[in-house]
Amino acid sequence: MSRLRAEGLSLGYDDRAVITGLDVSVLDGRITAIVGANACGKSTLLRGLARLLKPREGVVYLDDRALAELSTLDVAKVLGLLPQTPVAPDGITVADLVSRGRYPHQGWFRRWTGRDHEAVTRALAATDTADLIDRPLRALSGGQRQRVWVAMALAQDTDLLLLDEPTTFLDINHQVELLRLLRRLNTESGKTIVAVLHDLNLASRFCDHIIAMAGGAVVAEGSPAEVITAELVEKVFGLSCVIVPDPVAGTPIVVPA
Amino acid sequence: MAATTHDTPDTPDTPATHATPETHAAPETPDTRDTRDALAAVFGAVRANRRGRTARIAVVTSALAAAVATLFVVTMMVGSFRLSAAEVVGSLLGTIDDPSLDFVVLGLRLPTAATALAVGLALGASGTIFQQLLRNPLASPDFVGISSGAGLAAVTGLVFLHVSGIAIAGLALGGAVVAALLMYVLAWRDGVSGYRFILIGIGVAAFFEGLTGFVLTRAQLFEARQAMHWLTGSVGQASDTELRLLLGALAVLLPLAMLLQRQLRVLELGDDAARGLGVPTELARAGLLATAVILVALAVAAAGPLVFVALVAGPIANRLLGPATGGIVAAALVGAAVLLTADLVAVHLLPVALPTGVVTGAVGAPYLLWLLATTNRQGAGG
Repeated sequence: MSRLRAEGLSLGYDDRAVITGLDVSVLDGRITAIVGANACGKSTLLRGLARLLKPREGVVYLDDRALAELSTLDVAKVLGLLPQTPVAPDGITVADLVSRGRYPHQGWFRRWTGRDHEAVTRALAATDTADLIDRPLRALSGGQRQRVWVAMALAQDTDLLLLDEPTTFLDINHQVELLRLLRRLNTESGKTIVAVLHDLNLASRFCDHIIAMAGGAVVAEGSPAEVITAELVEKVFGLSCVIVPDPVAGTPIVVPA
Repeated sequence: MAATTHDTPDTPDTPATHATPETHAAPETPDTRDTRDALAAVFGAVRANRRGRTARIAVVTSALAAAVATLFVVTMMVGSFRLSAAEVVGSLLGTIDDPSLDFVVLGLRLPTAATALAVGLALGASGTIFQQLLRNPLASPDFVGISSGAGLAAVTGLVFLHVSGIAIAGLALGGAVVAALLMYVLAWRDGVSGYRFILIGIGVAAFFEGLTGFVLTRAQLFEARQAMHWLTGSVGQASDTELRLLLGALAVLLPLAMLLQRQLRVLELGDDAARGLGVPTELARAGLLATAVILVALAVAAAGPLVFVALVAGPIANRLLGPATGGIVAAALVGAAVLLTADLVAVHLLPVALPTGVVTGAVGAPYLLWLLATTNRQGAGG
């Protein structure tokens, strides 16, 4: 079963085609990582799945209905997104930012209700940012700031959550912290998560499913143990390497040869 | 909402035995498991924060409305002979029946005061919409060429076509729309990034001002004098038609802007985030831009390209409301308060009566310098 899938998807910018005729299904209730070399189309795929890019050909289905036929507001109630470089107005506080994630659940006139408070509360608690609500975003560390952005996406209260390179610009400790947070969200509430990630070792440690892309196509898909092989890393990244098991979790680790 | 609604959070109380996906051993166990009490405390804090902000917005907006109302009445009290507040209000409401009083208040002073009020509201609302939409405090319509476009079209009409009233308003609107479209085409590339829009805007403004200068050199002395006075900006020059048009536009567009404020708050987070949250970004942006452009064009048609009111209103409102609150109504009220005050100073407090634009310019220039200095230092302007 797959609530979010694409068939024959072609995506691109202006006159440049990035992805052509791609089929992909997102596993429900799992964490999927999209990995690949720079400019392989992984962020483009995520943007296509999140309706930020209109397909040139093919269809993205959400709950068996074409995304293009659904109202963008209805999609936003089911499918959340954390873009690669969101921007925040100067001086915005954490509480203000996170509460803006409630937008799709509020009408033109109906404003703030107990359900909105609840969703914001859960988002803050899950990301461990409740102590920060009165602080301005710019006064936070990079790791805290990224958790606040995740909290905004969580306040949207969607079953599916797409994240575009959520760990970029974070140090190793904060990368792990963020991935643990995603893991926890997935196990506690069964949220389906798709993230574009750069670090193969972290992706195989924290994700259930890996989609490896090269040149705008999916070259391998499956569990980390199935996908992360010396052969594939050579093929996708052009790096010759040895794969060893992670001493803690037993997941594959890429060691350059 | 009642505090009891939070009693059923989704998080289970007992450490769950997670249905872990097969591939890995253990999921990382959370360091701390939020208890029901902790969640309740967070819920209380979230609600208190929300209530605090809502209350602050309500208090600040009402205080601003009261200040604007007071200034509006005071403007009509002062002049070659002074009136009491009771007399002004009485005449306005029709409770005092005195033809000579009505002549001074309703005939002479009300048009100017109403123009200052309406132009201030329009400039304040328009300025803050531009600044939030373009995510830059420098992006007010008088700074990025929208006002200059309206000014050029209106001066051309004054000098070459000898038109007035509604035709001037139409020309100003046309000029503002052309300027906005020009900037959109030149500067918009996957949204607006950093100072690109501002730099192009300053260029567009300079271009239009150069053309305005050229038009003035072609004018007869009398027309040139008239046009120069108009270009400096003054609330005492609006015709009845211009004022009515502006008031009508305000009655429609201010409520519309209040409705669109929800979208604006999300658009501020970037186009991708806004689309992810379900905002039809192009449509919302077009609606907001159109609202702001029409408001500023009609304000320019009524009072000339008054500088700095649109630039300062939004930031002052945010200072009062709390950072990034972006209240359009509050900004509109600040604009009205600033313009009414500037008009009082220009006409009554200074030894020589000056056009309002001289005063707004004199106050606004130091602010602009300060803004340029601080945004450069923080690098946060874009």
